[in-house]
Amino acid sequence: MEGLEGKPGQFTAKVFQEPRYINEDLCTACGMCTMYCPRPVVDTYNERLEITRAPHIDYAQAIPSSYYIDAKACLRVNFETCNLCAQTCTAGAIDFSQKPKRLELEVGAVVLTPGFGRVDAAVLEKYGYGKYPDVVTAFEFERLTCASGPTEGHIVRPSDNKTPKKIAFLQCIGSRDETCGNGYCSSVCCMYAIKEASVAKEHEPDLDVSIFFMDVRTMGKGFDEARRRAQEKYGINVIRARVPRVDQVDGRLALTWTSDDGNHHSGIFDMVVLSVGLESPEDAQILSEIADIELNHYNFCSTRVDAPLSTSRDGVFVAGAFQGPKDIPESVTQASGVAAIASELLAEARNSKTVSITYPEENKALEEQEPRIGIFVCHCGVNIAGVVDVKAVRDYAASLPGVVLYEDPLYSCSQDALKSIAEKIKKNNLNRVVIAACSPRTHEPLFQETLRSVGLNPALVEMANIRDQCAWVHAQEPDAATEKAKDLVRMAAAKARLLTPLEQPTVDVTPGALVLGGGAAGMSAALSIAEQGYNVVLVEKSSQLGGNLRRLTWTLDGENAKAVLKELISRVDAHPGIEVITDSTVESISGYVGNFTSTIATGKKTRLVNHGVTVIATGAREYKPKSYGYGESPRIVTQLELEEKLARGKSFLKNARNIVMIQCVGSRGDDMSHCSRLCCTQAVKNALKLKELKPDCNIYIFYRDMRTYGFYEDAYREARRKGIVFLRYSPDKRPEVVKQSRGIKVRAFDRLLGEDIEIPANLVVLSAGIAPGDNQELSKILKAPLTSDGFFLEAHAKLRPVEIAVDGVYLCGLAHGPKSLEESVAQAKAAAAKATIPLAKGKVAVAPIVSRVDQDACIGCGICESLCPFNAIRLSKVGKRKKAQTITASCKGCGICASHCPTLAISMGGFTDEAIMAQIHAFSGQECSEG
Amino acid sequence: MSRIKGFCCNYTLSVEPEALKGEGLIPEDVDLERIPCTGRLEVPELLDAFTQGASAVFVVGCQIDKCHNLSGSRRASKRVAQVKKILEELDMDPGLVEMFFAGRGETEPVVEAARIMASRAGAGSRPE
Repeated sequence: MEGLEGKPGQFTAKVFQEPRYINEDLCTACGMCTMYCPRPVVDTYNERLEITRAPHIDYAQAIPSSYYIDAKACLRVNFETCNLCAQTCTAGAIDFSQKPKRLELEVGAVVLTPGFGRVDAAVLEKYGYGKYPDVVTAFEFERLTCASGPTEGHIVRPSDNKTPKKIAFLQCIGSRDETCGNGYCSSVCCMYAIKEASVAKEHEPDLDVSIFFMDVRTMGKGFDEARRRAQEKYGINVIRARVPRVDQVDGRLALTWTSDDGNHHSGIFDMVVLSVGLESPEDAQILSEIADIELNHYNFCSTRVDAPLSTSRDGVFVAGAFQGPKDIPESVTQASGVAAIASELLAEARNSKTVSITYPEENKALEEQEPRIGIFVCHCGVNIAGVVDVKAVRDYAASLPGVVLYEDPLYSCSQDALKSIAEKIKKNNLNRVVIAACSPRTHEPLFQETLRSVGLNPALVEMANIRDQCAWVHAQEPDAATEKAKDLVRMAAAKARLLTPLEQPTVDVTPGALVLGGGAAGMSAALSIAEQGYNVVLVEKSSQLGGNLRRLTWTLDGENAKAVLKELISRVDAHPGIEVITDSTVESISGYVGNFTSTIATGKKTRLVNHGVTVIATGAREYKPKSYGYGESPRIVTQLELEEKLARGKSFLKNARNIVMIQCVGSRGDDMSHCSRLCCTQAVKNALKLKELKPDCNIYIFYRDMRTYGFYEDAYREARRKGIVFLRYSPDKRPEVVKQSRGIKVRAFDRLLGEDIEIPANLVVLSAGIAPGDNQELSKILKAPLTSDGFFLEAHAKLRPVEIAVDGVYLCGLAHGPKSLEESVAQAKAAAAKATIPLAKGKVAVAPIVSRVDQDACIGCGICESLCPFNAIRLSKVGKRKKAQTITASCKGCGICASHCPTLAISMGGFTDEAIMAQIHAFSGQECSEG
Repeated sequence: MSRIKGFCCNYTLSVEPEALKGEGLIPEDVDLERIPCTGRLEVPELLDAFTQGASAVFVVGCQIDKCHNLSGSRRASKRVAQVKKILEELDMDPGLVEMFFAGRGETEPVVEAARIMASRAGAGSRPE
């Protein structure tokens, strides 16, 4: 981006686009150009561990799935010579006439997602990086552990290509280090080091892996559990020490460190991995000038706690690591959230530029005729034809029953080939099509589209994967591969003969949402959905909105939590699209995505609400401590109670000389197994406040790992600077709170002194964790699974972080797991973004591959209903007996019900028993009798 | 008493000698002692190591122009030269005492020194 002018809803973005010299519409990603190019270039995707050629693609899943030419290395671009790639490209995709382009884009909103930058090499040099070959960065190590990486997943030392025996990971390289200007915590390195160590151990079980931590910061959802498993299963050594430097001795690497009992240790390792942190993007400064946005003191995008996705300029938003170091689930969540915010801004424009495709009517008469099969055996350039004798396979196909057309296109997925396939289907009156090419996972929709365009049901195409599962894996045996390709084609044809058209029903969506829970997350989600133009019913259990936010007085960045709360409530109250029902709970929810009906109980009265989507934002609560003398003295309080006390005034601090805080009360195995993520920051925040109100008091914080991740690290450092004493304890030696006739004492083991100490405390503050709410019942109503910790479980931690396995139900806030206010708000926006997808479409398209119940054969046993993970099949009364019925809108086509049905009453669309049997019989060479 | 006695400056070797032995990087019979500064080593102390049974003695100090205590390693190298002379007078091989230099925190030169002396003393084989 070179310039951004205008205002929200009406921006003009000036964008400079470099030529890729390969037409991405024509490129089939066959890799021929890379093979023939004479110019080697360093493969930066593989962390410079490998060589590629000027034309290349970074990795197979890259989007667009097209190669590009490294202009700096290309002979044609620089010297007008060579041109080899253009001559070898059979798709004709290489285009040296491309020029740099300057585009002017008319947009309504701008989202900045430049990601993170690299820590400066000078920082790494301190640890011998660049000097000693076996000191690698974690990014390099990641490529080494990757099966598709330069060593195919073998862990080897760069110096001698031998497998190391002992590896050390050094944490906080370029993070939590003021000497390089990065005072923040990068948040992700502890977990990625554990992951990389686990992968390495998985590959080399005899490996000895040590990780040197300052604090083990695995505060993400389920991360502590994963760390515990890694330590137990793989025996990874966790050492709490900061290694100052790396020394090389006789080709091996020597480390020295000091443990917190003051003893010195040394160790010799074969390889050292530097867990480098996440830096702000290299061009952050330039970007901030062009987009006219403010950066924080670390050059990341500056945002506010209550609006984590908004930059300082209206209409310009931010997501991902540029907003602050974060992991994949959080980045994906923010990305969805930012989509919601942009949609709020541009709600009016929704659907104004939509183009819809119309298809000819289905030719049912033709579909019902005897199968007339067309078989297309794809060359895929040389991908298939280089191994398999495609022409022989094509000719073989001619001999199969029912085949009326057999061809061998060069690239069957290219635009012109698809066109020609469509024409041939029409001309030959084909009613079944077999494509022998690559994976249906990637290409089936394309061919289904082709069938639809000529009036055939998309279910009438069958694919045989003769590339991935034949040519690629049998590259050394062309003859056998050709025979296998014939088998695969024969099997596909046998199945194709029995394919039947499948309906593609759509279900209308009730244009409204039900949001459960009126805390910060629930209100944010409701506001976002309503701003996008849909009605929201917001159900709150208590008598007023606000949830846990009511108990906060200020946020860590100094903002007034009460003001944030007031603003949210007044916006919710004022919004005509939101109906708030307080003092109410949900009694039942029936239906499926697009068509839910819920019973809301208010006291003894109940009412029905119809809605298309459901958002769970039921929150969580502060854990009620069972130990440390909680409840026995007014001087032993939780952090939230302290905050409430402070909000009322500081008179209770008058005689306070010593204040002791104890972390992980209830969390991390004390009573609940999870880490509550927030308490460390919360304690530091309150400690700083106490110090501000009463500078002469002594504050002691007993902790296990200080998890002040991201920019919260600044507050932790400030707290240490202000003289707050941090003392680490281990779970087998927890501090004790001793009540005496006069006052309270805290007795604990001081690891630095190596002996027990006693602190007379005027106030003991327990950092009670976050306990899940009463989620059991709602979990049963919605069939929404819970984690072992009792929080709601998302469908996929990284890919679908705010959805649950049941369609049409979304998740945000503390109900999903412990998180800060700003994370809750971002996640609420993300849930709103996902929830508005079905609302905006107005219809839910049902995948054709769903289960179908033969009601005559069904005996109503209910096995299917109990096994369905998606709540998509249930029993209902038909006449006198109960029969199973598929809720097609919710069915994912997994087939669990069909495989368990004792009377074979359930069949899966596109995968009927008959068709699969026919395919198996065809493999053995027998022709199956019809049915 | 080990057969080879080494004195090294606190500012050279960064790794505990025991860890080096544990990994087989220096021979078992090398007794490596870390001292605050090699400049404090006196001739009698070096000779005493021989009388205690050492067959070779070595000293590793800072790089001569980068000594932490400015002239410590220079002083040490002079003392070692004196001991060499005494060994000659005693009709012993002057190569059985030697001065080495290492950069700050560098372990490799110390390990190398230990090996050289071990081979001079004919003591033990060079480890893998």
